[in-house]
Amino acid sequence: MDRYNDFSVEDFVWDDFFRQWTLSPTPETDALWDDWIDANPEMLEKVEQAKAIVLSLRLHEPEIGDAEINQVVKQTLGRITEAGDESARTSRRLIPAFSIPWMQFAASVALIVLLGWAVYSVTIRPDEKPQLGQQNGMIEHSDALTEKINSSSQTIEIALADGSKISLAPKGRIRYPEQFDGERREVFLEGEAFFDIAKDTDHPFLVYANGLVTKVLGTSFRIKAYGDSREVTVEVKTGKVAVFAQSDPHLKEKVADKQLQGVVLTPNQKIIYARNEVKMVKTLVEKPEMVVSKAEIPQFEFEDTPASDVFNTIARAYGIDIIYDEALLKDCPLTAHLDNQTLHDKLNIICKAVESSYEIVDGQVIIHSKGCRN
Amino acid sequence: MNSKSSFPEDRVLWQDFLAGEVRAFEKLMSDNFRLLFRYGSKFSKDRELVKDSIQDLFMILWEKRDNLSPDAAVKPYLMASLRRLMHRQVSSRTWVGGEALQDEDDYFEIEFSVEDDYIRNEATNTRTLQLQKLLNALPRRQKEVVYLKFFQELSRDQIAEVMAVSPQTVSNLLQIAIRHLKAHWKAEFLIFFLLHFLF
Repeated sequence: MDRYNDFSVEDFVWDDFFRQWTLSPTPETDALWDDWIDANPEMLEKVEQAKAIVLSLRLHEPEIGDAEINQVVKQTLGRITEAGDESARTSRRLIPAFSIPWMQFAASVALIVLLGWAVYSVTIRPDEKPQLGQQNGMIEHSDALTEKINSSSQTIEIALADGSKISLAPKGRIRYPEQFDGERREVFLEGEAFFDIAKDTDHPFLVYANGLVTKVLGTSFRIKAYGDSREVTVEVKTGKVAVFAQSDPHLKEKVADKQLQGVVLTPNQKIIYARNEVKMVKTLVEKPEMVVSKAEIPQFEFEDTPASDVFNTIARAYGIDIIYDEALLKDCPLTAHLDNQTLHDKLNIICKAVESSYEIVDGQVIIHSKGCRN
Repeated sequence: MNSKSSFPEDRVLWQDFLAGEVRAFEKLMSDNFRLLFRYGSKFSKDRELVKDSIQDLFMILWEKRDNLSPDAAVKPYLMASLRRLMHRQVSSRTWVGGEALQDEDDYFEIEFSVEDDYIRNEATNTRTLQLQKLLNALPRRQKEVVYLKFFQELSRDQIAEVMAVSPQTVSNLLQIAIRHLKAHWKAEFLIFFLLHFLF
């Protein structure tokens, strides 16, 4: 956050992270910015002003009603299904059954059912879709679950039968079976918890939390799924984690598969799942840590080193992808000592030195540079 | 640089669409209609033309679904395709001698407005109005980049795909636009303040 210390109102207005906080704040970003403002009270006025500007500046967009959209969609659908009949005719040669009258009748019934379903799925909003409750039902019936609620003010440790450990944050609630005897190890979370899961590749471990499914084979990660927040976040510390929405049309396969399907997260990556919009954004955790063992931590001391080599060293140490234009950056020499900075500070310093900037897209660091030709 | 769609739901829907599922067609079109309508309206003021273009777009995609990439990032792909389609339409109509919809095929109309509910003091109000004026006066391509980046929240690569230019061009346009906005904005604000206090 230090890079904001000398920001002007103009800088804030066009800063991605600031805009994100202003336009769709989350408990995490709120906390981060509030802390920063507490530490830099002189910036409060600028922040307030920039916030007002970002919020008030609107795009004058033409409006179109749902009914109007629906009408065009229905009309288009009519046209493509007409065209579809032609292709059905070609397939008729292969499958004579379709020419039998009752089959046509059955097809009409199927079409009506399909249309009915389509109307249903359009009118039902995503947040009204069956949530966790129903989904749990089937599993809970077969096997009574143990429930732990942390009403204390400290994190509590829970040991599971398979050797996994869960650190449940205050106000968290977790349900799990005494023994895992199915093909999968499944638990249900509300609130925040850190998971350290014992490795068992034959029995994937699944956490269900506010509509998001997190699936692992053996690893450690943190989930925040507060009941009153519209977002669920998953941050990976070690190993690999797959996440997908509970509303995913391929949920069953993804749950059953021994492989990790869906959005796969690696260490230092984090996913933010917006429940109502059913969308996921991959990014980096707030304070990425190095993934290599202590002995392997490289020296971040560079003496006239090409910036491309510097980025490679950092990428390896933090286990993240840094994407840059090799041709442009190999001619940018850098001299710097970066042993004690956080990842973001390291990147900021390098970017300043070689006149570049960086952004985080899809859990990767992307360097924007125009090269150094001097 | 390959920017994969970060929204797995979109991707599943897109793949079902390519597999020929009518339900996926309907959902894909309904979900993206408003976005495409708004974007399309930047190229023509004719509502019906914009609606027709979106309909044409989806029918074309449906017809050639066997040849489309299953890994496309859906939103930028749809926007890019609509943009191409509308540019072609507008220029072909001009060519046939029909009523040209807009003078140029490089027409891009957006208007920024100020919602003053959020503004509590005069200085902020003045600043916002100045920014609005500067934004509305930006050259067309810079305006489009600012629109796609800050109001559609597309990434640099996605913008490059939509506008059919290189990612580097996107960065350059964006940088020029923001630098221009920041510099002029500050200058105008200072002048305003000087005038305000001196007279």
